[in-house]
This record gives sequence, structure tokens and C-alpha cells, in this order.
Amino acid sequence: MTARILIACRLVLGALFVWAAVAKLPDMAAFAQDVANYRLVPALLVPFVACAVVGVELLAGAALILGLLVRPAALVLAGLLAVFTAFLSQALLRGIDLRCGCFGGDEPASWWTVARDVAMLAAALAVARRPQGAAWLRRKAAMTRSASSG
Amino acid sequence: MSLILRAGLLCASGVALGLLANGFTPRPAPLGQGVLASAEQPGAACEDAQASVARISVREAKPLCLACAAAFVDARSPQEYAAGHVTGALHLSPGEGAETILPRLRAAPTVIVYDRDRDCAAADRVATRLQAGGIRDVRVLTGAWPEWLAGGGPGESGSCSLCTAGTR
Repeated sequence: MTARILIACRLVLGALFVWAAVAKLPDMAAFAQDVANYRLVPALLVPFVACAVVGVELLAGAALILGLLVRPAALVLAGLLAVFTAFLSQALLRGIDLRCGCFGGDEPASWWTVARDVAMLAAALAVARRPQGAAWLRRKAAMTRSASSG
Repeated sequence: MSLILRAGLLCASGVALGLLANGFTPRPAPLGQGVLASAEQPGAACEDAQASVARISVREAKPLCLACAAAFVDARSPQEYAAGHVTGALHLSPGEGAETILPRLRAAPTVIVYDRDRDCAAADRVATRLQAGGIRDVRVLTGAWPEWLAGGGPGESGSCSLCTAGTR
């Protein structure tokens, strides 16, 4: 049962991050503006940070969906989500009114966004702790075969 | 290979992928150029045409202050207010109750609210509450306190005795 929940977490997290990256790709300039509006990243670094976030989201999300490098991918996404949570919280506490930039579009940053990130962070940490990826599925299949043949 | 090393390699590959993808997108992030926050861009400071509260520039507000033709409300922290504020300004943080200062403000033809940041977020919140409290002509100072100082607007320091003294 736990294994099925963790597999579902892995697939949902992977799909969410691939979706988030694909939604930002057509307008990277707008996402760079969203990053700048958090007022934490130096102006010159903003475009590089925006590109890095989208690339990491895409690659780590795809890895989770495919079940490859599950533990490192979940760890990277957990780190990303921790940073997102910190960025959002400081902006809300400073009274900065901005778009969250999470999935492209105009979604405003709110404490609901923070709660969603914290929930996703918990899921990413659970997947990183007990990765149920392709290697795990192969091991499980081998164990089932040896048990049935023995 | 250790977990951290694999995570690091995944990150580095992701960064490379993001930079590569940026080269093919219709609206790329401007690498090599700085991107300022919307509120910090020249001319964009607090000057949102859709803003619900009217704006007033330092150039327009300064004569009103000198002629005592407007009341000023400082929306920054009490410490910032005590360190320096517009001469005669009352203090009201976004989280504070406005009841004490509302009677004084109703007597003024115009009320000008200012804060610390160029996006005027705190001033907007205070101004909206003053409007809800029955103040008709409320404006938010564009450029906030830094621009007031830079424009040579009159200032003074000290805590706000009138803010807690009632309507006297």
C-alpha cells in the first residue's frame, strides 16, 4: 500500500514539475520578471536563475516520471521546493504583491501557495527516502520470480 | 556514485538544459542583462494606472505640505517613523487601528499616505483603510519616503504623540 502511494507521489510530482517547466518555456522573459519581483536575486543573475529553475524542473520532473535517478531527482526537487517556500514566505511577510510564477500564468502568491509547496516538499522528501523507481521495480520483479521458481 | 554527487550532476545538467532551451524559446530571458523588479523599474514606481487609490508625486505633494493643505500619514514601522518622517505626518502601520487618527484626517482636504518601498504596497493598504473609514481624498505618494528625502521635502524626527492622544 505504502509503495503504491509513493509511486503515485513520484508520478504526480514528476508530472507537476514537467508541467510547470513546459508552461514557463514559451515566455522565459515573463518568468525572469517573476523571479526579479521576489527581490532576492541580484538583477544580473535573474535570467540565469530563471533558466536554471526551468531546466532543473524539466529534467528532475522527467526523471521522476521515468523512474530513473529517482532519489537524486526527488532530493533536487525537495531543495527547489524549500527555496520556493522561503522566497514566497519572505515576499508575503514583506507585503510584496506579486505573481508566484509557479506554473506560468497570473497566479498570485499567497499563503495557499506556500501550503501547496510545503505539501509537495513533504511528498518529495518521502520519495527521496524510499524511492520506488525503475531499479526498485526490477528488484521486486526479480524477487517475485525467484520466489515463484523456488 | 554518492547521492549528493548524482544530485549535483542532475542539477548541472538541468541548468545546461534550461540555458539551451532559453535559446529556442520565442521570448527568452535576457541573459547578460539585469532584470529589475517591476516596482524598481524607472518610471514604474508605484505608478500603476489600475491602482484603486489615486497617486501624487513628490513635486505635487511638497507645496501641499509647506502650505499645510494636506495631512500626511506614514505607513512605515514606528522605528522608521521615529527616525525621520514628513513634517507633521501622523503614523499608521498597515496592521494598526485607524480610529485614533481618523477624526484628525477628516478635517484635512487631502490625505497623502507614504511608505518605504517604491511599490507603495503598505501605503496602498493604509490608504484603502482610510477610504473605508470615510476619508474622501486619499492619495499615495509615488517614490515613497526615499524620493521625498531626495526631493528635499521637509522632515522631522521623533515619535507620534498625536497618534495616541485622541482627537483633543
